[in-house]
Amino acid sequence: MYKLGHYFPRESAVHRRDPRVKIIAVIALSIIIMHVNAIGLLIATGMTIAVSQLALIPLKSLLKTLRPVLPFFFCLFLMYIFFTPGRPLPLFPIGLVQISYEGLHLGLLQVWKFVFLVVAASILTMTTPQSEITMGLERLLRPLVILGISSHNIAMMVSLALRFMPTLLDEMNSISEAQLARGANFNPRRINGKIKAISYLAWPLSINIFRRCNELVDAMEARGYQQGHRTYLRELVLNHADYYLIGALTVIVIAVLLWHP
Amino acid sequence: MKKIIRVQNLTFTYEAGRPPALKDLNLVIGEGEYIAIIGPNGCGKTTLIRHFNALLLPSTGEVQVDGLSTQDHNSLLEIRRRVGMVFQNPDNQIVGMSVEEDVAFGPGNLGLPAAEVRRRVDQALATVGLTGFQTRPPHTLSGGQKQLLALAGLLAMNPKIIILDEPTSSLDPAGKKNVLTLLQKLNCQGIGIIHITHSMDEAAIADRVLVMDRGELIADGSPDEILSRVEWLKSLGLAPPKVTELMWQLQQGGEDVGTSIFTLDDAFNEITALLAQLRSSTNAYISGKVREHV
Repeated sequence: MYKLGHYFPRESAVHRRDPRVKIIAVIALSIIIMHVNAIGLLIATGMTIAVSQLALIPLKSLLKTLRPVLPFFFCLFLMYIFFTPGRPLPLFPIGLVQISYEGLHLGLLQVWKFVFLVVAASILTMTTPQSEITMGLERLLRPLVILGISSHNIAMMVSLALRFMPTLLDEMNSISEAQLARGANFNPRRINGKIKAISYLAWPLSINIFRRCNELVDAMEARGYQQGHRTYLRELVLNHADYYLIGALTVIVIAVLLWHP
Repeated sequence: MKKIIRVQNLTFTYEAGRPPALKDLNLVIGEGEYIAIIGPNGCGKTTLIRHFNALLLPSTGEVQVDGLSTQDHNSLLEIRRRVGMVFQNPDNQIVGMSVEEDVAFGPGNLGLPAAEVRRRVDQALATVGLTGFQTRPPHTLSGGQKQLLALAGLLAMNPKIIILDEPTSSLDPAGKKNVLTLLQKLNCQGIGIIHITHSMDEAAIADRVLVMDRGELIADGSPDEILSRVEWLKSLGLAPPKVTELMWQLQQGGEDVGTSIFTLDDAFNEITALLAQLRSSTNAYISGKVREHV
């Protein structure tokens, strides 16, 4: 099975960074990217590729993470080039179809930005184990306690979802095998066959999920789970390099926002 | 012996108007006891043990764990620290994304510092023999390993007693053996075990066997006393150990054998003794005949 942005175990400076720094970096990048022009985008792309090389992730595997989102991006690109008014390209309009310089420019730039964001997020998930990302999120969201939201609960939900993903996939496979064994025959090449197959899977799967939930809640309670504060196997500690990086990212974000509001 | 669990006049009803799942039950469990609970499906075994760690609260009566009443909401965490529970389905009790994180769940709930959590995790994994699996995702473990992991998660909380609800029902023979060996080892270290099972072979390992039927405790005694009553067990819909049943059939056939035999080795010894006796009496008979003839 193909896994989007699956963790790449390597020994690198990027892998060793605190997960919070990497999460902040992705957020900062997405703010920066939305405010820069083509040259700024080129610089950011160059730096991101440099980081991916530092993390010992081959460019090929990085580009592979784009595969599932490419059709979406292509549609986005078409929307931009067809629906942006401006000076028409030579040979256009052909009939009712018109493509403008501005449209082409905007389309390329926007799609590039989205591709960039997906790649940046993939570098995060490829260099950070899921458990560290959840822990990082938990620490970053702690201030939300003022709003009455417990970051421990959010972290628990995320990690349970990730924990049960493979289990539920297994279960889904065994349900569809059981249906095939009893003579179900959905033509997966036809769209209505696919929809039928999904609807036949959805019911038994959701019933099983609720059953699992009941047992899981009992098991968690039996192990002393209570909402609110808890401790973890690892405590995250920011070192000097982490603080410098966060500082530098903050300065860049502020600078970009000031120059390109 | 110090008492760890005390059940007084426990009655429990799931829904008002329905017959109670437990009827006026009284029971005392001592520290470090190895107890097996047997009984047909729907007899209330699971309902009973769920009272021991306050997953269920009595409709009437009282359950005390180490002197703490399960009805007292403030002692909930203390009770659950003392009483660990392993469920039938190993998959639905694992919450961590990796083996070590799952073991760390319990100590984390107790709010222990990270260094202490780490120490307990390593120790618990060593005890159950899962050292080296720390970073494995739990879904890649076998059923037996998952149950060992569940046990490690409890051991990391230093429980006084571990309750298991048919922990071996979905395991292969090797997995079963691992779990049972571990239970005996833990019991030797002074941890009490309460083991719900349908397998009388597993019940035979215990020091004390409780038999339940229709929400009532109908027998309480040593495996010798309980499991040797083959006909009575069968009338309850339970299957006595195969070797015990064999001995019982021999006894019914008029042979001079006991029925307090639960292992193959004991059965072998008993039958060999019987054969030796038979052989010597036959020899004596033949030599008597021969002498007569001469």
